[in-house]
Amino acid sequence: MDNVLFSHMLHPILTGTVSLLYIVTLILYGGDFFRGNAFAKTYKQPALIVTIVSHIAYIGFLTAPEGYLMNYSSAMLMTMVALTLAVTYMFIEFTTKTDKTGFFILSFSAGAEIISSFFFLSATGEGPTFSGFGIGVHLLSAIFSFSSIAIAGLYSFLYLLLFRQIKNNKFGFLFENLPNLEVLEQLIRHAVAFGFLFLSMTIFAGIIGTIQTSEVINLFETRLLVLFVIWLCYGISLFIKKLFGWDTFHMAYLLIVLFVVITILIILMSIYSPTFHSTSF
Amino acid sequence: MNIISVGVNHKSAPIEIRERVSLPEDQAKAFLRNLIDDGLAQEAMVLSTCNRTELYVVPAMPEVDCRYMKDYLIAFKNAHNEVRHEHFFNRFYCNTARHLFEVASAVDSLILGEGQILGQVKEGYRIAVEVQSAGILLTRLCHTAFSVAKKVKTKTKIMEGAVSVSYAAVELAQKIFSNLSMKKILLIGAGETGELAAKHMFQKNARNIVITNRTLSKAEALAEELGTNQVLPYETYKEHLHEFDIIITAVSIKDYVLKEPELQQSMQKRRLKPVIILDLGLPRNVDPEIGKLKNMFLKDIDDLKHIIDKNLELRRAELPKVQKIINEELIGFARWINTLKVRPTIVDLQSKFINIKEKELERFRYKVSEEELKRMERLTDRILKKILHHPIKMLKAPVDTADNIPSKVNLVRNIFDLEEQNQRSK
Repeated sequence: MDNVLFSHMLHPILTGTVSLLYIVTLILYGGDFFRGNAFAKTYKQPALIVTIVSHIAYIGFLTAPEGYLMNYSSAMLMTMVALTLAVTYMFIEFTTKTDKTGFFILSFSAGAEIISSFFFLSATGEGPTFSGFGIGVHLLSAIFSFSSIAIAGLYSFLYLLLFRQIKNNKFGFLFENLPNLEVLEQLIRHAVAFGFLFLSMTIFAGIIGTIQTSEVINLFETRLLVLFVIWLCYGISLFIKKLFGWDTFHMAYLLIVLFVVITILIILMSIYSPTFHSTSF
Repeated sequence: MNIISVGVNHKSAPIEIRERVSLPEDQAKAFLRNLIDDGLAQEAMVLSTCNRTELYVVPAMPEVDCRYMKDYLIAFKNAHNEVRHEHFFNRFYCNTARHLFEVASAVDSLILGEGQILGQVKEGYRIAVEVQSAGILLTRLCHTAFSVAKKVKTKTKIMEGAVSVSYAAVELAQKIFSNLSMKKILLIGAGETGELAAKHMFQKNARNIVITNRTLSKAEALAEELGTNQVLPYETYKEHLHEFDIIITAVSIKDYVLKEPELQQSMQKRRLKPVIILDLGLPRNVDPEIGKLKNMFLKDIDDLKHIIDKNLELRRAELPKVQKIINEELIGFARWINTLKVRPTIVDLQSKFINIKEKELERFRYKVSEEELKRMERLTDRILKKILHHPIKMLKAPVDTADNIPSKVNLVRNIFDLEEQNQRSK
């Protein structure tokens, strides 16, 4: 009875509420960035905190019936992507005191959450639950690494946008409101470092998890190869400046390409196999 | 009580006329003293800057009007041949207040939102206070103007963004580099333009400024003034180009001082780390081809003017907000002026009732004890306060137009027979 009540009444309401909170936060960040609205400026940060706290509570609520073990369905993965993006962005905003890029990052976060809620409501939100420390760390760090990759890609895009605007003497709205090139470069480097760290953790925890389940690791499995190439690209991009004398301008292009490729892979994975670890693409 | 303002400014007269009627401090003081001593004005203030000479006057007699004040200033400056009435603007009553509010908030300035005018208005007021020509009305007017300017500065963006070439150069540098104190800057040319740009950079915490100039002594003098004491000989500075993140050129020579091959070499040496070259020279000092190099931001005066135009546009967009603030303050000021008109009636009203109270208490002075008399006095004070509360509140209440004030005042005067009271006191 309780389960019926949860799945038919409470679950859709909570899912909708979390999506709504993301939309409201996004509107506030947009209101401040595009219109300089005083109300939005005052309440955007509290709104972000409320959204993140509510989202964590929501995930706790969702996983409570399974003993707080997450099921790694597309819906759950998307909602985790939304959360990790928001958390990573909040961390960046609090540490760098740069709140002018929130709209761009949170639009991805809100998008992921809305897609996730559609998956949940269309009852494709079911997936296998995994237990074990190794697999848990593996999947969580994979989600965090995707968020970092997304953020690095977005900041790279903003960097190129501002770079071109300055070069072409277009001193308009974005010139006025975006952080300067050096700050954007710093944000990119931080995001790449986080991405590389989490990707390394993903690979390491994946190997541990596989050993624990006594599975044989197939080194030529597509997923593993793709993951390794991405990890290598990010590792190289960390030292690309020192190794090859690449400037941020070219690095930004590489990071955007990587972000697009990874996103396409995840979307393909979500479409062709809604369960994460039973897919092959 | 009326207040008028007349004057010449950048909107009403050309610069030669503005120069002709300008009143430096000593002349302004003499002018104000004459006005007060001749019995022409109750209060007066002069605002004299490079773009305006304006008089704010509370006339002491009806004959002293705008026309009279224009003639008075022309006579004072002995400028009958050059200055005519058409060169002046004139404002009355609330429009005078509005004008001063607009002046203090820099919306009436030649460069919209410039930051110096408020200090100049304060200076004008200080002079008026010093010669004791600022009374209750001008004091209130000026303080309201200061408050308007402060609100405008904090609540709008009218003063934001660079509106000079040298400051625009700094704004651009800050859009590329986050911390100018960590950047090495080369200034080629120690002339006025270069000096201004270097000073703006210095204000934004740039401390590593190296100066090079054909005349070494000039470079050394500027370096000493800035406190950087870093000079490079003009003959050898090109060997060090790769060390600099920002290069400002402001020299007046026909040939380019920086050419593409040397900058290409310098970029290779610094492993393509971004460089900004701000070419403030006229004719241009830097080969435009340099702008095509990777990670090279080359900006000349025309490029920087784009930033200025954009900032002025942003400032203009703030004008409705500024006008809203001015209108709100103007309403408050007009209400306060209206209370000045009813103040004599309020004083008469209070005096009349206090007289009645004192007369009645006097009759009992020797009939009751001192303590009882004090108690009676306290009681009558309380009663009077309650009786007078509503009429005074009604007098002070805002009216639709200033024309309604006399009828309200007359009504109260007739009801309480204040005319007679006034005459008796006279």
